[in-house]
Amino acid sequence: MAGERETVVETLPEEPRQHNRFLRRLTRHRLGTGALLVFTLIVTSVVFAPLIATNDPNEISLKLRNAPPSSSHWLGTDHLGRDVFARLLYGGRASLSVGVAGISIAVSIGLFLGTVSGFMGGKVDAALLKLSEIVMSFPGFIIILTLVSLLGPSLLTVMAVLGFINWTGIYRIVRNQLLALREREFVLAARALGAGWFSMAFKHLLPNAMAPVIVGATLGIAAMILTEAGLSFLGVGVQVPTPSWGNMLASAQSLAALRKYWWTWVPPGLSITLAVLCINFIGDALRDALDPREQI
Amino acid sequence: MKEYLIRRSLSMIPTLLGITIIVFAFIEWAPGDAASAILGSRVKEGLVEYSQVELDRLRKELGLDRPASVRYLEWLIGLGKGDLGTSLATRRPVSDLVSLRMGPTLELMITAFLMSSILGVALGAISALRRYSATDHVLTVAGMLGISTPTFYIGLLALFIFSIQLNIFPLGGRVSPGATDFVSRLHHLVLPAFILGLDLTAALMRFARSSLLEVLKSDYITTARSKGLPGAQVILVHAFRNALIPMIVILGLRLPILIGGSVVIETVFDWPGMGSFYIAGVRGRDYPIIMSVTLLSAFAVLAASILVDVLTAAADPRVRLEAKQEA
Repeated sequence: MAGERETVVETLPEEPRQHNRFLRRLTRHRLGTGALLVFTLIVTSVVFAPLIATNDPNEISLKLRNAPPSSSHWLGTDHLGRDVFARLLYGGRASLSVGVAGISIAVSIGLFLGTVSGFMGGKVDAALLKLSEIVMSFPGFIIILTLVSLLGPSLLTVMAVLGFINWTGIYRIVRNQLLALREREFVLAARALGAGWFSMAFKHLLPNAMAPVIVGATLGIAAMILTEAGLSFLGVGVQVPTPSWGNMLASAQSLAALRKYWWTWVPPGLSITLAVLCINFIGDALRDALDPREQI
Repeated sequence: MKEYLIRRSLSMIPTLLGITIIVFAFIEWAPGDAASAILGSRVKEGLVEYSQVELDRLRKELGLDRPASVRYLEWLIGLGKGDLGTSLATRRPVSDLVSLRMGPTLELMITAFLMSSILGVALGAISALRRYSATDHVLTVAGMLGISTPTFYIGLLALFIFSIQLNIFPLGGRVSPGATDFVSRLHHLVLPAFILGLDLTAALMRFARSSLLEVLKSDYITTARSKGLPGAQVILVHAFRNALIPMIVILGLRLPILIGGSVVIETVFDWPGMGSFYIAGVRGRDYPIIMSVTLLSAFAVLAASILVDVLTAAADPRVRLEAKQEA
């Protein structure tokens, strides 16, 4: 009996946690700011790759195959004697731009169709909703792999396919928000003042639906970077000689590289993890910042 | 219930049809076809260039010279009779090829599913019951790292550490030559299944934690406790049942991740499943294979979502299936 009463007491007092929760909120946001800082660093070094990397990422040197890290090749060389550090920086360009371009396409489609759906309602809405259901019941990776491979794998097709498959989340958010907002007073007021549907949608309704879209888009970039890595690892993504973090990892498919030449495949994987971790933290911080009701 | 299942199953048909049309249209629209892929691979093998005449002849032989609509309808009618078509590259029935490869993939996926369900729920429950403890923090960080790392990269690292450095797991493959007993197979299965399930485990852990915490805060748990019920009974009988519902939803909705992930994980671990078979099929523009596999996996996704609704209704008596009419 005594033991049970203790457990009750243990769960009741909330006050000491108040302080704790504040600390957690703070560290959470500190995590977000820290992540933003690290991510900015990654982006900067990737953008200024030519200034940082002293070697050409595509220069093949058969005399220097699979050389371990040294002062001239900071991360060693790969199976064709190419500088891994240079390829890592240039590879980041492909991987990060896939995420950004892909999400831009997805958000554009999602925003547009979501606005149309949420504003027009009725049959148009029903048809678009059905379309989004069809796209959502695609098993994501399988269909992306199929489309990219059919269209001819390249940086551009990966971006396009990722964008055209991943708009449904944003579409749903915008549509549902708009349907809920439609009945609110300020919209009725705007309507009474004679605002046309187009200007109303873009001026009054969309800004109100933006917060979850921003969070969704941020987390979407992370997901797309991971997908690109998987595709390129299988050889149906960004094609060599253009480096990407994913296709650099493909070198580990050779048992010799996996066994002996860790510097060819460990760094690109760590780069993906670091970049995606930063983006996820930024996304979480944005969610907390944009939604004051959010409990941490 | 029966009526509901029938209605939901029927509502899958237009969606699946839509998918087959979209996929077929893409195959037709994309450059190249099975004939050029077959001849192209011969060129790669060192044989001489092929001529347009040869290409036309092979197209005719494979029936690719007929209009796309005819071939689509033909495939669809065959499907209605339970026939998935014939592979263009190997000229063998797709159903034979698929059934050869499906076993290993299902073995991997089901094991991954079971492992991650048990692990995810257990770890999430530990996290929730020991909130803000060191264990909770470690698990939270591990979960965050887990969802931010490509699973195949974790797979490569695991191979490097456990198979190459420590030599406690085999370097991939489904069986060792000459050893097909249960223990040996399990030995091959554990690592790839665990890695394949990692995404699901991490997602489930997060959800189990928050959903259990949510339930533990509610009034009826306080009531149950103040009645003097034993702590274990409160958690297992009262809290867990209600916390289970969001977990079922997550498990069902994350199934596509498992299907997609298996393609990559099979490559990492040299697993003789659907993955490499399907990639070869897509590369070879072998449309009966592409159509069948996309259809099967879309069917699995849709069936899982129906199963989620049924299980949710079973776990929560307030949810009535009949009420979930089309909006």
